Amino acid sequence: MSTLHVMFLVGDSGYLIPAESVLYMESFTGATLVPGAAPFVVGLVQIRRRVVPVVDLRIRFGLPPAAPSLGQRVIVVQVSERVVGLLVDSAREVVHVPADKIEPPPEIISGQSAGFVRAVAPVNGRLAMLIDLDKVIGPDPVAPDIEPGFVKETVHAQ
Amino acid sequence: MAHILVVDDSKIMREMLMACLRGLDSMSFAQASSGLEAIEQISLHRFDLVLLDLNMPDIGGIEVVEFIRGQDRLRALPIIVVTTRGDESSRERALGAGATRFLTKPFTPDIIIAEVQALLKPSSQVA
Amino acid sequence: MTGPVDFHDYVEGFLAEADEHLGSAGKHLIELDRAARGGQSHPRAVRELFRSLHTIKGLAAMVGVEPIVDVAHEMESLLRAADRAGGRLPAPAVDVLMQGIRAIEERVTQLARKQPVTPAPPKLVAALSALVASPPAGAGGAAPRFGLPAEVDAKLAASEREQIAQGIRGGRRVVLLEFVPAPDKAERGLNITAVRERLSALGELVKVVPRSVATAPGSLVFSLVLVTSAENQTLAQALESEPEAVVALTLDAPAAPDAPDDSDPVVEADDTPAHAHGYVRVDIARLDDALEKLSALVVTRFRLGRAVADLTARGADTRALDVIVGEVTRQLRDLRGAIMRARMMSLAEMLQRVPLLVRGLTRNTDKAVALSIQVGDAELDKGVAEQLFPALVHLIRNAVDHAIEPREERRQQGKPEEGQISIVCDSLSGTHLTLTVTDDGRGIDGERVARKARQPVPRTDEQLLELIAMPGLSTRDEASRISGRGMGVDIVKRTADSLGGSLSLQTSPGRGTSFTLRVPLSVTIVDTFSFVAGAQKFVAPVAMVEEIIVVDASRIAHAPAPDRGRPAPDRAAPEWAALVAPVAAMIERRGQAMPLVSLATLLRLPGRAASPDSGKALVVRLTGRHRGEPIAYGIDRVLGQQEVVIRPLEDPLVRRVGVTGATDLGDGQPTLVLDLVALGAALFSQARADS
Repeated sequence: MSTLHVMFLVGDSGYLIPAESVLYMESFTGATLVPGAAPFVVGLVQIRRRVVPVVDLRIRFGLPPAAPSLGQRVIVVQVSERVVGLLVDSAREVVHVPADKIEPPPEIISGQSAGFVRAVAPVNGRLAMLIDLDKVIGPDPVAPDIEPGFVKETVHAQ
Repeated sequence: MAHILVVDDSKIMREMLMACLRGLDSMSFAQASSGLEAIEQISLHRFDLVLLDLNMPDIGGIEVVEFIRGQDRLRALPIIVVTTRGDESSRERALGAGATRFLTKPFTPDIIIAEVQALLKPSSQVA
Repeated sequence: MTGPVDFHDYVEGFLAEADEHLGSAGKHLIELDRAARGGQSHPRAVRELFRSLHTIKGLAAMVGVEPIVDVAHEMESLLRAADRAGGRLPAPAVDVLMQGIRAIEERVTQLARKQPVTPAPPKLVAALSALVASPPAGAGGAAPRFGLPAEVDAKLAASEREQIAQGIRGGRRVVLLEFVPAPDKAERGLNITAVRERLSALGELVKVVPRSVATAPGSLVFSLVLVTSAENQTLAQALESEPEAVVALTLDAPAAPDAPDDSDPVVEADDTPAHAHGYVRVDIARLDDALEKLSALVVTRFRLGRAVADLTARGADTRALDVIVGEVTRQLRDLRGAIMRARMMSLAEMLQRVPLLVRGLTRNTDKAVALSIQVGDAELDKGVAEQLFPALVHLIRNAVDHAIEPREERRQQGKPEEGQISIVCDSLSGTHLTLTVTDDGRGIDGERVARKARQPVPRTDEQLLELIAMPGLSTRDEASRISGRGMGVDIVKRTADSLGGSLSLQTSPGRGTSFTLRVPLSVTIVDTFSFVAGAQKFVAPVAMVEEIIVVDASRIAHAPAPDRGRPAPDRAAPEWAALVAPVAAMIERRGQAMPLVSLATLLRLPGRAASPDSGKALVVRLTGRHRGEPIAYGIDRVLGQQEVVIRPLEDPLVRRVGVTGATDLGDGQPTLVLDLVALGAALFSQARADS
């Protein structure tokens, strides 16, 4: 198991994923909206002749969406059979994180993050969070009425 | 250069036979998937040997042999007839009709190779 | 020198050919069965069955599968005897032959799965040889004569005479034709095989006799005997000869069929249905690879087209280039056709074994089932067929085993004694296949099932389907028996889901049930319309769109929509459209009211949302349960029509009803492919639920 990790920023926080799950890193030039997909799905992006769904990590992590910026990146990861893109604010570093520096997060944090944060490690003097890719890309189980490609109007006017 | 006509309604069977014989010196092949096609081919082209399955649609192999032998110029054309186990009764009829050799399936590659080589020796080639 | 050739290497080829022969053998057996029940003989079917089995036997012998050789050998002897007796089989023979076919199929499957092949079942072998020994009913009688030249007449077998006699008795003509092979004809492809094919399309080719004729180019003439209703002119054209050369034959002696022998079938054999063969996958992998490469070519061709268009726009003379691009387009289309054809199998072919299956299921029951299969020449991808077929088999088994009532019960209900099962391919929209299995049996009583399963009573057919597709339910015998559906509905639903499709149900207790399987085909190149809706580009298959109409804004009837909701809470960005508009209005078309739905509003597209007032609309007609209902989808504008490569969207994050996949229109961005039929069906269902 290599210690190489890709580090990326979402908001002001640093996150880590194993380098071996990363297929490509591309700049973000927009995505095709998929009607009816979960709110954290930006849409579809074409990368190297593959069509890849992209998850907006800002929205996924509960941050307001950002204006498009040049630093944005799509990190395309492979999680078992699936190939999914992660839209992040910036991604420039590949770092070594030795196993003995990786610790579980405080319980409050793992609870609050719905299991997204599975571990923490110090990188360049700051704490970076290792994420659980499976959970982050979802989809989340039990999505009640997301069947059709459109959203039903379910609220009656008062 | 020996030109062989392979007659069997099963495509895979024809492939198997040709695969066996390709390695021998200078072979070329034509194929027919029925007795009628075989007769048509023989009437329009010249062959050095015919490999003929006895059971085929529309006209049995025996009839094909009879037809071939009925032509003066084809009296000496070597014909190897092939059939399956249980059809040994055809042996007499086939040889009686003028077939040169008689084989029953299953046979191994070396058997068919040996039969063909024997018949294609210079003394048995069609003039 | 020859490398060692091992015939065992040819097992794959054997499997492919065996499969073909078994398929046609099944068909012939059905024909034989029908004939035997009517006390008739069927010489042609007997002969063709004999030949199929003989071929299977020979091949199996070469490849070394003894058990198959054994069974085929016995069946072949039986059929040879029948052929000699004019195409007559003893009545119990059809059943035993069917068991023989099944036994061979099982062993072919074992071979395909690289499992050891079970030896031939001794009881079956004994039953077959017993039948060979017993004389068939009604053999003998004087041989009929037809006025044929002696040379041809001498070659006729008893079964062939019978075939001719039956033809004449049946009011058709029997003619004698001649074909003279020649080198120039052979060059043009007019050889004896082609002639036989042409004539077989015009009637029943009974006999072909080669004759030595010294004056002919190859010293050869073929005499052909054909039972036909076609005109001499047509026949002569097939042979490129003159109508005058066609000679009609007459019948000189009648022969009456004998009374049928009604003894019971002899032997019980293992009742497993045939399975699709796994070895087809090898083919598919290679074709998938070819398709991948082709899809890359298609995209490149678009880029080329646009590059040339750019050049033209800059004033260059691109006429020669245009011609070349056109050629490339044509050639790609041809190539695509060839690959798709290789990947496709006809639905009819896939369903070939179903009549045999049904026959086997009704054996030893007091049920009668009439099966009707209407799939036309619809085709589907082999990979999809492989998964679909077992699902279909489940539905059919359930229909026969549980839904169709025994004869007595049906009589008491005033239903015809024979139960009806139909398989219909409803529509092929280019991207989807809809198969409906309908029976007129017991229907499913939702209340009873719910009670036995201790679940809430379903109120709609959708809920009923959920109920009977519950995995736990199928193991509860009583509930499954009452549900009329037994095991397997959960499997069918899972298959439909895994194929990216759907299963739906319609039932009427006491009257019958319909299951509809809708699956997307993994067809990857489809002719589509591209258009803009809500400032976003989409494509939809041309086959799905009935018409593109211009919408006159002043003639739209806006219906009231009191349930105005807030903007959906899942759109986080405030700048996105918070437009809330009713989804549907109405327009009149050809005297009828048709719903007009703004796609932009329906899909909540954030772009400049077009109200249903603007420009164009795509008219789509629904299939399945809302068959025939039209919907007009309002769009901004149409862009064009083009063939595109569709990549199905597999990731669960983006799998949505109504979105078939994504494609590249050459602009580097994925463009969604919309399933307007599915969207419409969802709208209708929702409307039904709301009202």
